[in-house]
Amino acid sequence: MAVQTSPATQQTVVVSTDWAAQHLNDPSVRIVEVDVDTKAYSEGHVPNAVGWAWDTQLCDTLRRDIIPRPKFEQLMGQAGIDADSTVVLYGDNNNWFAAWAFWQLKLYGHRDVRLMNGGRKKWIAESRELTTDTPKISPKSYKAKDPDVSLRAFLSEVQKASAERTAHLVDVRSPQEFTGEILAPPGLPETCQRGGHIPGARNIPWGKACNEDGTFKSPEELKTLYGGAGITGEKPVIAYCRIGERSSHTWFVLKYLLGYKNVKNYDGSWTEWGNLVAAPVEKP
Amino acid sequence: MPKPEDYSARKTDLAGWPVTITTYRLGAVYKTTIDNTDPGAWVVKAEGATKQEAEAKALREATALLEQVKRNKPPTGCTSVPGF
Repeated sequence: MAVQTSPATQQTVVVSTDWAAQHLNDPSVRIVEVDVDTKAYSEGHVPNAVGWAWDTQLCDTLRRDIIPRPKFEQLMGQAGIDADSTVVLYGDNNNWFAAWAFWQLKLYGHRDVRLMNGGRKKWIAESRELTTDTPKISPKSYKAKDPDVSLRAFLSEVQKASAERTAHLVDVRSPQEFTGEILAPPGLPETCQRGGHIPGARNIPWGKACNEDGTFKSPEELKTLYGGAGITGEKPVIAYCRIGERSSHTWFVLKYLLGYKNVKNYDGSWTEWGNLVAAPVEKP
Repeated sequence: MPKPEDYSARKTDLAGWPVTITTYRLGAVYKTTIDNTDPGAWVVKAEGATKQEAEAKALREATALLEQVKRNKPPTGCTSVPGF
């Protein structure tokens, strides 16, 4: 069954693996896999799920930006999604890039978007069916709305938030990245010139919002986690990480599971800030 | 349609970094993923005819990668939220 989120949002944004399994052939539901590992979908995916690649299909491939609106409309339409479709996103790494896709679907105003709780990891751990068959899709016409900029933070706003403390900055990277001990997660390429964090940011790694099986912690636990660090929702919040996908996960938690009104994702994140000439950096 | 079987996940240290080793069998193939636990990004993936073969290959590749991670001066403190 679908999990009801906080009363503040009154939206159903998380579905269980059971719910997804019961809606594999529901024509009003389109399940989409988005992974960090873009080869994972082709190795086996939820039956009838479409696969999107974050690095080619969910971004502007010329300049660094989110997916352009015409390309987004085409992507949605080709996946058989229209304005009334329920889109269920899931992926590896506890839904990192599924959350990134969720954020972009909300930016472009799609009404009913949900995450499959636990993502690909839970589906596999539960020994559910996988297929390598690509679903046959009847394309639909999709019209996106103008991007909702209230969900996205750009550099100038983050600079103001850091200098004037106008918003809480939540750095969701690992403690070692936050302190500058390492420049990228272990085993991943380094993509910034300096280590550390944006002055004033608090470090609450994204994974603290998850249980061992990849599902989200309860609203009470989440409230304790973020509230205990002073992130109560009374002040605007800007989440960031390295390239914006882990922070999409935290953005989702704060906005939809805790119901905070003013939460933005800074997708420029540390690969923008940590490469800026003369930008202030705090360590540790 | 095949179902993943024999799912297992365990944590250990490789080259000084905590990692999670996840393995399952899909049909006749064992698939292993090693991620860096925090933040949880996958580092290597490998396949084999047995669990031991898949994990051994993944461990070799992951160790080689993680040994190359450069650590800067150790931090003097950390304001990360404890617990959880």
